[in-house]
Amino acid sequence: MELVQYTVRKLIAGIPLIFGVTLISFLLMVYFGPDKTYELLGKNPTPEQIEEIRAQLGYDKPVVERYFIYVKELATLDFGNSESTGEKVNDLLARTIPVSLLLVTPGFILGNLLGIAFALIAARYRGGWVDKTIMGLSAVGMSISFLIAIIAFQLLLSSNYGLGWFPVRGWSTDTPLDYLRYVTVPTLATVFVALGYNTRFYRAVIVEELTRDHVRTARAFGVPPLKLLSVHVLKNCMIPIITRIVFSIPLIVISGSLLLETYFGIPGVGKVAYDAITTGDQPVLKAVVGWTAILFVFAQLLTDILYRAADPRISLNGSSE
Amino acid sequence: MLLAACSGGAPGQSAGNGKVFRYAMGGAPTSLDPAQAGSLYANYLVLNLFDTLYTYKYLARPPELKPHLAAAMPEVSDDGLVYTIRLKQGVRYADDPAFPEGRGREVVAGDIVYALQRHFDPVTRSQGAWLWAGRIKGLNDWKAAGSDYTQPVEGLQALDDYTLRIELTRPYPQLTYTLAMGFSSAVPREAVAKYGREFSIKPVGSGPYRLQSFNTAKAILLPNENFRQEPFDLAAEGYDADTQAFTGVAALQGRSAPFLDRLEIDFIQEGSALWNSFTKGDEVQMAGLPDEQVKTVLESVEPVVLKPEFAAKYRMTTGPEAGFVYSNFNLDFPEIGYNEDPERNRRNRALRCAMISGFDWQARNNSFYMGLGIVFPGVIPPVVPEFDPEMSRDSVTRDIAYAKQLLADNGWNAETLPELTYGSVAGVKSRLFFEQFRAFMKEIGYPPEKIRLKRYATFGDLVRAWSRSELPVVGKGWILDYPDAENTLQLFYGPNRSPGSNDANYANNEYDELFRQASVMQPSPERTAIYRRMNEMLVDDCVATTGLTRTGIKLWHKNVIVVPDSSIVGGNFLRYVDIKEAAAN
Repeated sequence: MELVQYTVRKLIAGIPLIFGVTLISFLLMVYFGPDKTYELLGKNPTPEQIEEIRAQLGYDKPVVERYFIYVKELATLDFGNSESTGEKVNDLLARTIPVSLLLVTPGFILGNLLGIAFALIAARYRGGWVDKTIMGLSAVGMSISFLIAIIAFQLLLSSNYGLGWFPVRGWSTDTPLDYLRYVTVPTLATVFVALGYNTRFYRAVIVEELTRDHVRTARAFGVPPLKLLSVHVLKNCMIPIITRIVFSIPLIVISGSLLLETYFGIPGVGKVAYDAITTGDQPVLKAVVGWTAILFVFAQLLTDILYRAADPRISLNGSSE
Repeated sequence: MLLAACSGGAPGQSAGNGKVFRYAMGGAPTSLDPAQAGSLYANYLVLNLFDTLYTYKYLARPPELKPHLAAAMPEVSDDGLVYTIRLKQGVRYADDPAFPEGRGREVVAGDIVYALQRHFDPVTRSQGAWLWAGRIKGLNDWKAAGSDYTQPVEGLQALDDYTLRIELTRPYPQLTYTLAMGFSSAVPREAVAKYGREFSIKPVGSGPYRLQSFNTAKAILLPNENFRQEPFDLAAEGYDADTQAFTGVAALQGRSAPFLDRLEIDFIQEGSALWNSFTKGDEVQMAGLPDEQVKTVLESVEPVVLKPEFAAKYRMTTGPEAGFVYSNFNLDFPEIGYNEDPERNRRNRALRCAMISGFDWQARNNSFYMGLGIVFPGVIPPVVPEFDPEMSRDSVTRDIAYAKQLLADNGWNAETLPELTYGSVAGVKSRLFFEQFRAFMKEIGYPPEKIRLKRYATFGDLVRAWSRSELPVVGKGWILDYPDAENTLQLFYGPNRSPGSNDANYANNEYDELFRQASVMQPSPERTAIYRRMNEMLVDDCVATTGLTRTGIKLWHKNVIVVPDSSIVGGNFLRYVDIKEAAAN
């Protein structure tokens, strides 16, 4: 019952957040976003045609009216059709978000799991050569841009200049084997770049935990290192780990990965969102921003619930027991 | 991972899919509705999904029209105002749920009427209406009356299912060319009614292919089972054995397109990904050569020759694009253009001429176009028959001393030269264009700090700026709609001023009068002479720094039978692509 009440309370509290995010982003779209009119016109437009297009795009309406239309779209979750392709926005997202999820999820999971594992090892041998090696490699990973990593992995593993084991471009999930063929190289590139950031972050969290009194006490009682790390340290580190992971989820769902999608020819939502931003396709942008805000509200809710699961002392009423 | 790695396909073949051809192009279309086929990318798909009344012969160089949906070339009245066009019988649309029982019906003359009417229905968001606006009798009035499809258009009538009558307000010699453009494709109204705005992603036409899927990464087309059987005739298509035998295209003789079981068009903007995919062997089979690979792949640039290791695997053609790049001076700006003070007006012209003389086309060509571009004077590019190879090249030959002298003689110096804004889309290449331009101008004495860059986030924003006449210098490119210099000369026709395509806002009564005079003339030496006179007027008035026609290099795998065409024809050649049997099986 406490959980239900908390959920309802949190969802209601999320409404102002959604309004705030959508209002700010809407104003940015209107006043600083690209003007779609001239993308839609032909080579020799007349002033009359320009006005026709502007009217169809709703540019001739007052901003307040346009925002209320957006709020209505948000309430009904019907964002109309893309101004670029004409496709229904909901269909567009339903078609592309699963692709992006399938594309980035393996890298996201592996990047975090390996990050935690390397962080535990580095923290265990803090100051030693193992720690220094892991941190050094992390710094290398962080120093290399995602773009370079993608080009390098594609060249090494996909192209005929390298091993040529995997397809350079394309996407298929018809069979698990197809999926593996197409997702492996993007996943390796993602893990390569994410691992450095994740390892350093998790190591910092774990090292801090290692200095706590209860860890020193456990050591004094002769708790073996592996058990110490997995039970006494990692469990107590779960709050920042949950925060980092859960708040990444909305971005993974909506943003996808533009670079992975463009270099590997994968029809995900990242390219759709990027094109919407650069061409001023407001129905798509409004949907992306709206859904991101909604997902963040849910992420916040999920985080709090997981906090409670990780640490029963935390009350959903907002106080520690 | 290794298991996944080992399950690749073979060139030209995808497991169970028969002959597969993958073509790569550098951008993606957003809409496949013929009415919105304003880009080259869109036409690569539209021209293969739909049919037009006329098209270009596959192999004829220079481009030459032939009947397509039409049974013959149009019958034109003596006064050039009435076109009667007979359609072929038995041409069918691809099967689609939009039709009763899902079976594609026959293409009729009413479909062409409907397709052209759609351009004058604001709901369609046409990009091609300008081709027929004010030219087909009653079409503008039809729009003004509310674009009611139940109402007839006086000058656009289907006399019966197979006869189309078009009546013009004045002679329009380019009309037949416009009926070969993707814009004029036959469209079934049932499909538009069923899919509404989504017709742009669910196109239904009578072309050799139908759309299976379309997204930001690629389009997949499958053969249209209803496509008419028309045996390929090498001679009728303009075959030239001397230049085309190496492609193996003679093997198509007597067979009917489409020859593929699957046509895939990849949209790849990243040069490294494109090249990796092309050289992989079982992926992209045909693409333009990325700039960054030129030194790796070519033995020489003049002439273009592949290195032996690449020549062993790939075929290649080069050819000029149907268009050109140039930059306009916006004459609306009194600092550099028309000025109420006749003396300043004269000095402004001298300033523009000096800037043109200071521009180094050869350096521009070498820096950005691999040195392969064709530099030419004026706005009549080499790909149109009216091009004048004898025209003076002074306007494209750099002469710094002359430019400096011109400035000095007309009272221009570092203090008096006006501040100029150069508009461009944000991006590295655009920035380099600007910096090179500024460096050229610095050499003739134009202070760099007086030439500023204004960057726009998107191309649409830049177009808005020049459409609103907000920029004094506009760098741009133009892709020809048809092989007739009228298409480039209209870029400076007074009534086409901003927001139209005359964004130089050139206003010259004599030029406009000549344009009107030539615009109703059939191709002839007299018309060519007028075109050339107009071209010289533009050069004399120093309206634009022009021009350069880019040259593209296309590469393809040797198991592919193809003859790429110029960009004026769009992607028409894709309907004739075949894969050699030996490689496909």
